[in-house]
Amino acid sequence: MATPLTNPAVYLYGPGEAKIEESPYPTITDPHEVILRIAYVGVCGSDVHFWKHGGITNKVSHAQPLIMGHEASATVHSIGSSVASLKPGDRVAIEPGRPCRRCKPCKSGVYNLCTRMEFAASPPYSHGTLRKFFTMPEDFCYKLPDSMGLDEGVLVEPLAVAVHAARLADVKARQDVVVFGAGTVGLLSAAVASAMGARKVVSVDINEKRLAFAKDFAATETFFSPKGSTAESIADSIKGQNSSLEGFDTVLECTGVEMCIDAGIQVLVSGGTCIQIGLGMPKVHFPIVALSSKEITMKGCFRYGAGDYEMAMHLLESGKVNLKKLITGVKKFEEVTDAWEATARREGIKTLIKGPEE
Amino acid sequence: MATDTEFGDLSNLSFVLNKPSDVTFETKPKPTIQSPYDVLVKVNYTGICGSDVHYWVHGAIGDFVVKDPMVLGHESSGTVLKVGDKVASVKVGDRVALEPGTPCRRCTPCLSGHYNLCNEMKFAATPPYDGTLTGLWCSPEDFCYKLPEHVSLEEGALVEPLAVAVHIVKQAEVKPGQTVVVMGAGPVGLLCCAVAKAYGASKIVSVDIQPSRLEFNETFAATHTFTPERVSAEENAARLLKETDMPGGADAVIDASGAEPSIQTSIHVVRRGGIYVQGGMGKPDITFPIVALCVKEVTCKGSFRYSSGDYKLAVELVASGKVDVNKLITGKVKFEDAEQAFSDVKAGKGIKILIKGPNEKET
Repeated sequence: MATPLTNPAVYLYGPGEAKIEESPYPTITDPHEVILRIAYVGVCGSDVHFWKHGGITNKVSHAQPLIMGHEASATVHSIGSSVASLKPGDRVAIEPGRPCRRCKPCKSGVYNLCTRMEFAASPPYSHGTLRKFFTMPEDFCYKLPDSMGLDEGVLVEPLAVAVHAARLADVKARQDVVVFGAGTVGLLSAAVASAMGARKVVSVDINEKRLAFAKDFAATETFFSPKGSTAESIADSIKGQNSSLEGFDTVLECTGVEMCIDAGIQVLVSGGTCIQIGLGMPKVHFPIVALSSKEITMKGCFRYGAGDYEMAMHLLESGKVNLKKLITGVKKFEEVTDAWEATARREGIKTLIKGPEE
Repeated sequence: MATDTEFGDLSNLSFVLNKPSDVTFETKPKPTIQSPYDVLVKVNYTGICGSDVHYWVHGAIGDFVVKDPMVLGHESSGTVLKVGDKVASVKVGDRVALEPGTPCRRCTPCLSGHYNLCNEMKFAATPPYDGTLTGLWCSPEDFCYKLPEHVSLEEGALVEPLAVAVHIVKQAEVKPGQTVVVMGAGPVGLLCCAVAKAYGASKIVSVDIQPSRLEFNETFAATHTFTPERVSAEENAARLLKETDMPGGADAVIDASGAEPSIQTSIHVVRRGGIYVQGGMGKPDITFPIVALCVKEVTCKGSFRYSSGDYKLAVELVASGKVDVNKLITGKVKFEDAEQAFSDVKAGKGIKILIKGPNEKET
């Protein structure tokens, strides 16, 4: 029997090549840090992309393998000398990016745009959360309420993405919203829009099972986009279903698909707002004149920033959003690649990977 | 490795407040680089602020009480002596403006872009933290701003009050073509007029009770001046709006005086839907025309020190010539004459007096 590893971690070496190996046992180097014992790690579309292609902008390599995972929950293992809000044993959701706190974006309140962000599972050096122990600054760990399980704690991360989008959109009470995509981020965006007081929340997808779930989970209505649709046919049909409206106030675009981005602009009322959350093709065909003449505001949306995790925690604690339903599978640490493959096949909604056993 | 002999030729003589009206000169231990992001600076010039004078006279401002001896001063410029390993934006020999407050970078205000409201701000010459009326000062790199070649160290010391004015004018959301009224023509009031001008304000009305200050501002930044009388706030406001041809009220009103009558007049001067910014600090509690604020839907905002981008903009305003801070410098004294300079400021002499650092050579 081999000596047990002190800090087993899932390293990605290249497309289709992952190994569980020893990783450095963490030490506290900053008094504001905590060492966390990872409980669960979620699988995101970006993880699948890494598994299939070795990376997005930067790639992993044999010379520089990377520990994967960024959506995680944990229990606090030990704390630095200046840590005041957490103690060993506390259960937390993790905000998995360390900003530098010194650059202009950091100091002006948009640390998600930090020029030196160390985000979990970013090649070449910023290792992720798929390991037994992980270190984070205190202010990026959020205590879970007693009523929330550690498995649900993983979903705070995608919920924070949805919160960031809805806050950028400044969703107001009784506005009408269209959400493109009924994957995890789309479902959560619909839920947050609803919690912020939206009147109609239309969930759009090409998958009828996901739409059925969306209707039950957060959307007031759904729209199934059949094969052969065009941006015009999608926009016209959605508006047709809601003929009393001139258009929708807000679009939360969670697919990154060119046709949806186009339909989003068309479905908006003049003066409306579109938030681009989904990441797909880098360049798309875009209805620029419609944007211009309807005076639409379009904003990019990247991860989460100041106040988003706090609002996500509030939505959960107050029961306005319920995450348990989104967890459709849990795999053992050793079964990590099965979890990635299942997500690649679009099985269920959110698959979790358990942290390494004792 | 820093030893007693590093910079042994430089003095760290400091101007220390022990208790009200009791100041002494003492040599303090020289600061050293603590972090790879630190910059060690020789202080060249320090301006005196009303707050410094207030601590000197009263030993406290609000809840901030001087309990132990504290070095005064926070408006400074300096020359870089040494840099930490990770410092990239400045090098030894560079002349810099110093932003004298170090936030914690971790609390909610810090993370959301309002580091001026940091829960654990360490601000120079706000107890218990020592100030910059000293020989050497250690600053994080991102709070040191390199001065362009053509900007003097004296001008560099004016960047701090100018940054205060920048922050106030940003709070007032001044846009090109708007009308602005500034209550108070001390250094901050004067600089608010200058920044409002740089932001494109078409009318800038400077209000003060001292005729000499108004006269100065006529050639500095104001388009109009106004001297209030001992009448009600409504009456002063009505006359101001008539004399400056602003029948509907001013788009933005800034108070840089802290004086109760000025604050009251401000609410009657600002137009419906306008913005009022409280920059000056005077009595903690005053009588305030709350119904006028309500009925006119005035937005009233506080303004405290400076935050992200303000110092950088202040340096650019000086560098581009848009704000001529040289005109505010009415005196430069040797370090040893600091106490006399404080007395002069307290007596209202001049506009901005600079105290040379203890290592400045006499020319």
